[in-house]
Amino acid sequence: MATYSNQCAIVGVGENQRSRKSGTTPLHMALTAARNALEDAGLEAKDLDGIMNYSTGGDSCPSHELATYLGCHPKYVKDISGGGSSTELLIADAVALIEAGMLETVLIYRSMNGSSGVQVGRGYDPNMLQEMLPGGSFIMPYGSASPSQWFGMFANRHMHETGITKEHLGHVCISFYEHAQRNPNAFLNGKPLDMETYLATPDISMPFNIHDCCVELDEANAIIVTSAANAKNCKSKPVFIAGMAPRTTHSHVHYWTQVDEVAADHAAAELYKSAGVKPEDIQVASIYDCFSWVVLRQLESYGFAKRGEVGDFVAAGNIKMGGSLPSNTAGGMLSEGYTHGMNNVLELVRQLRHDYKGTERQVKDCELGIATGWAGPDIAGAMILRN
Amino acid sequence: MTKQTAYEKPIPLKTPDNHEYWDAADRHELKLQKCAACRTFIHPPGPACPTCGSPETEWELLGSDISATVYSYIVSYRPFLPGFQYELPTVITVAALDAAPDVKIMANIIECDPEVVEIGMPLKMTWVDVTDDRALPQWVLNRG
Repeated sequence: MATYSNQCAIVGVGENQRSRKSGTTPLHMALTAARNALEDAGLEAKDLDGIMNYSTGGDSCPSHELATYLGCHPKYVKDISGGGSSTELLIADAVALIEAGMLETVLIYRSMNGSSGVQVGRGYDPNMLQEMLPGGSFIMPYGSASPSQWFGMFANRHMHETGITKEHLGHVCISFYEHAQRNPNAFLNGKPLDMETYLATPDISMPFNIHDCCVELDEANAIIVTSAANAKNCKSKPVFIAGMAPRTTHSHVHYWTQVDEVAADHAAAELYKSAGVKPEDIQVASIYDCFSWVVLRQLESYGFAKRGEVGDFVAAGNIKMGGSLPSNTAGGMLSEGYTHGMNNVLELVRQLRHDYKGTERQVKDCELGIATGWAGPDIAGAMILRN
Repeated sequence: MTKQTAYEKPIPLKTPDNHEYWDAADRHELKLQKCAACRTFIHPPGPACPTCGSPETEWELLGSDISATVYSYIVSYRPFLPGFQYELPTVITVAALDAAPDVKIMANIIECDPEVVEIGMPLKMTWVDVTDDRALPQWVLNRG
């Protein structure tokens, strides 16, 4: 199979109401998101023959459980352990299974009480990390247990080498916070950010302060993928999957040993080759943004700005509405909410369907978009969608 | 014979792959795993060589006079693990060994003002006795 060649499409997206404290279970939230995605597509639960989900440390509900309470019994369920870029991975798996003729319509979801349950940003259990990760005993004794510390190590080296400044990180935050003000469902809607406030905010893990870190919330998202042929039967406007780099790796699982390299560097070439497009063709983006710097590093990896020029690229307003690459137009995970990347994909689908037409939230006439996923410097995936 | 210790931070867990490294650390020495086939150092130690895939590995003693430079670092203002709440902010670095710059060893820079740390700064390895029988490699600024 040479390319993805638009043989599958995303025909439905849905979410639940995000909050700091859902007061309910991941199953309840996943059911809401799944029903909303089905409604969006004009499909019924019995139309689903595959359901897939990813979770971290058992924070979700299994696909079979979701299927049962949707009132369907799909012939294929899959639950994987994952995080950033797992959305792209599972969509790629769905496409492969659909193209192989094994499945027709697949629902993919992520549901997590990311605020009232487990907060990734506050670190993991130290004994678990030492025992589960073969290299954990080389980082835990030194207090390194939070992604803000792990990724900060990469950020400081990269900033040193490329001239990216704290202000450049601030431009990423301010751009996305600005987008959140147009999205009533963004958690930080009503809370804009300016550079003075940003720079006055003390660091948690240098170079990151609270604004550089995503907003961990209780959230569920769902996406429905089907064949291009079946997409014609759906009520939504299909968004076609034009190319993918499902989940690519850093050269070492203990990625702190090589902080000059990120997996996103390896994903880009495969992505553009599979879609047959170039970075300059892309009109709208969803860039994985667990931390502000991660956006800058990926803009470099995926070829939107040259190494050393990424800071100026964001400072010039290019990732804002009206810029050359409006990105994370719902506010991103920095200000809309953190659903391990899936909420950024939902927004990209809605932009490419022109759901916001006639409002200032719509990226005018956009036809081609990119979604990138970042589990860390170690693992990355991405996809290109077109309307 | 177990003895209550005041040390609250995680103590490195010894495994079949890494115990030579930590056993040497307990003696205040640096010992690194090396590939017997391609001769590259392997750090952190593992079941095979990540460079060439060879399962034939050996250990090389580098001694107690270890210098390095700051390759990258962070300053951490919040404790994410037990014991670190007493010593904030914490400086964590990955330092490149002068004798083998491809080997990067993560540790804290101790007894150091976080404001003065810079990439490229010279470091020297020291060992801190954390319990009666365990010691932890750490970095201090190398003032020559």
